[in-house]
Amino acid sequence: MAFTYRITLAILASLALLTSAATAWAQPAPPADAASAPAAAASEPAPAPQAALDARVQDLKAEVIRLNRDLLILEEELLYPAGTQVAVFVSMDVGKLFELESVQIKLDDKLISQHLYTAQEVQALHRGGVQRVFVGNLKTGSHSIDAFFTGRGPHERDYKRGTTLKFDKGTEPRYIELRVKDSLGKLQPEFEVKVW
Amino acid sequence: MAPPRSACGAPPRGGAPSGPAEPDPRRLLGRRAAAVAAAAVAALAFGLAGPTAAAEVAPASTLPFSVRAVGSPHYGDTLFDFYQDHFFSAITGLMVSQHFRRVSPHDDEAEVLRGGMLLSYGLHEQAADIFAKLIERNAPPAVRDRAWFFLARMRHQRGLLDSSQEALDRIDAPLAGGPNEGLEDERQLLQAQLLMARQDYAAAVKVLEGIQGRGTGASAGTGSAKQYARFNLGVALIKSGDEADVTRGTALLHEVGQSGAASEEMRSLRDRANVALGFVALQDKKPREARVALQRVRLAGPLANKALLGYGWAASELNDPRLALVPWTELATRDLTDAAVLEAQIAVPFAMAEIGAYMQALERYRGAAALFEREKKSLGESVAAIRGGSFIRGLLKQNPVGAGQDLDAFARLDQLPEMPHTTHLVPLLADHPFQENFKHLRDLQFLQRNLAQWQDNLGSFTDMLDTRRQAFAQRLPQVRAAAGIVDLPALQQRHDALAATLARAEESLDAAAFANPHERDLLDRITRGRATLAEAAALMSTEERSAALERLRRAEGALTWQLTQQFSERAWVARKGLRDSERAIVDARARDAALLQAQKDEPARQAGFAVRIAELASRIQTLQPRVVQLDAEVQTQLQDIAVAELQNQKQRLDAYAAQATLAIAQIMDRAQLAQKDPRGDDKKAALPAAAAKP
Repeated sequence: MAFTYRITLAILASLALLTSAATAWAQPAPPADAASAPAAAASEPAPAPQAALDARVQDLKAEVIRLNRDLLILEEELLYPAGTQVAVFVSMDVGKLFELESVQIKLDDKLISQHLYTAQEVQALHRGGVQRVFVGNLKTGSHSIDAFFTGRGPHERDYKRGTTLKFDKGTEPRYIELRVKDSLGKLQPEFEVKVW
Repeated sequence: MAPPRSACGAPPRGGAPSGPAEPDPRRLLGRRAAAVAAAAVAALAFGLAGPTAAAEVAPASTLPFSVRAVGSPHYGDTLFDFYQDHFFSAITGLMVSQHFRRVSPHDDEAEVLRGGMLLSYGLHEQAADIFAKLIERNAPPAVRDRAWFFLARMRHQRGLLDSSQEALDRIDAPLAGGPNEGLEDERQLLQAQLLMARQDYAAAVKVLEGIQGRGTGASAGTGSAKQYARFNLGVALIKSGDEADVTRGTALLHEVGQSGAASEEMRSLRDRANVALGFVALQDKKPREARVALQRVRLAGPLANKALLGYGWAASELNDPRLALVPWTELATRDLTDAAVLEAQIAVPFAMAEIGAYMQALERYRGAAALFEREKKSLGESVAAIRGGSFIRGLLKQNPVGAGQDLDAFARLDQLPEMPHTTHLVPLLADHPFQENFKHLRDLQFLQRNLAQWQDNLGSFTDMLDTRRQAFAQRLPQVRAAAGIVDLPALQQRHDALAATLARAEESLDAAAFANPHERDLLDRITRGRATLAEAAALMSTEERSAALERLRRAEGALTWQLTQQFSERAWVARKGLRDSERAIVDARARDAALLQAQKDEPARQAGFAVRIAELASRIQTLQPRVVQLDAEVQTQLQDIAVAELQNQKQRLDAYAAQATLAIAQIMDRAQLAQKDPRGDDKKAALPAAAAKP
């Protein structure tokens, strides 16, 4: 609801107008010094029209955003072609029973990623964000992925769990999601692997 | 004697005493607002989620935030960036995922999210395009309504009030449900703003009363939101002009002005209500009412100076200059960057003169004139520092665009650099154009860094492509040569010949055809043995020859029996071997064809990448000077705004100095008159002859 405050800005500003009128009771506002004001104005360069400058900055931002998109597409096609691409994601489904601290991922027994989580990242995961922890290339054929999660489990106890998946890599990109879930039945966290 | 001229008619600024109705923009647009805005955009996006994506996983009450399943990891990746305020990464990452078509089933949500984030950056055109397209393609009603709302808000921000109203009118149903509860209030507030802009205060009052009347439900928002709504309603009622409404509006503001306040934000709102009431009362020539309201303002709050000044004027209106001296004397000791404090420098001697303390008044006027002169000098030094560029450099140093920072839609300047006379520039912190330009400057610095980084990356890509090209050119002939060692047509011929032999052997049941080398050797030895016996027939007795032939016959029989026994198995193995070799030949052909195709395609593919890299590098090179140019222009603009602010302060000082000089002259005149007329009234006693000295 606090967001609504921003919207009230314009309404609130109207009261400022009201009060600025109120302050006029005292005396008329001091007239600008007839001699010094024009001289000062002449000595200062004419400012660029603000609206035009705003528009140019916004145009530039839009262009840079488009350029970044094209650059990222190029980067992905060049470095991670669809035929060999594999990406690993981490997500959290509820995650009430597990406070994630770090994750370590091995692909075919080779360490490919390890990450220590900040509070902000954990909160982003809680809210439905999915972290892409790795993107790389893999040959077609059978592979295995091992993930090790560390954190705090129920009753504030240190918790370390691993999960493994064997999967086949074809000629299509392969996306693997490692999901931390709460098992309300067991009151324990669960770790799932989903291949998209 | 004329009272000093007030500078309080100057344009109001957020946070300044003259702008009590505008909450402190630092509070509104700071990080907290960023988070709130982000949450609102997220809420909007989730609000569009279909049944697949919108299912609550856990009761919301058990968690501090809602958790929702995401049907596409790449869309989730965008959210991951978005929730951490990495908006630039979120937008560009989302655009890439949309390019590769991997955000389904969140296509509509993704578009709204992108539109919302672009809007945060002020990219109105692009955001409007997105929302218009969502509407055009007949998105679900909830999506359309939200798109219309966003279009209405954008148009309102750009001053297109009629078309903003038109867009609002297209919304069919309340923007409610789940985490989007706040949006409906926003819609109503926007409606109220539009009505007030059309000076239809009565209708605005109704809308605001509607928000107020939503009671204690979730949609009524927090207590602070209700307080703001009450405040706004009070303003609308007062502005409606109707006597009864003005009374009601005033009463509402009094309610706000006397309410308990648990947070600094609410205390500040309470102060604003009281200052507004006080100055309205002063305007209406009701100094007693003004005093009552102004007394309620905190002495240490951001509006204290304005309130102290007003309180003094209220006392002065009541012909009680002694009472006026109390707040003004306190005010005169405060920070000189505030216009109210400057005004107090001459308000105090004015009140002193009113009570007949001419000597002290004269001293204070002289002191004020000297103070104004010193301030003018330091203002001149500040202007020179700003023009020299040190101010902007200091600002950027104080508020750097760090390596890990993103394009920040909600960046706000909170601190001024440590350099001489920066206190003069404090009012700039509350100045919207200044903040907007500073945000532009930071954005441009970010863009410069972003482009430079990509330029480096493209260099690496080019190197990588060259390496690949060289490796390909070197390895291809080797691979082709290795492939050439195996003559595929000859292999095919051999395969065909073997197939024909196998067919014949199977047809004629020729078990010997499947004999292994050892067996073949045995068969040869049997044949050779027979021949030897035939040649040696004359040398051998009949019995010996018959016995030898019989042994050969038995050996041949055993071998033939063995071969015949294994005929089927060996034929099957032979057929399988032939099939395997056929497959191997097909694979080899395919590899050979792929190799030939790669020989043609790979250079074309690499050339395609090279062209794209060159084209993108060219775009970077085109954009870089534009960024630099705009950066310089924005810096100039910032300098101009800062200098203009200082010039305003200088003009105010000039005006106050002129008033001080005039007052000094008036007191001197009185002194001279008193000297000429020794039998003057009692005030002359308070003006010693020394006071008349220049």
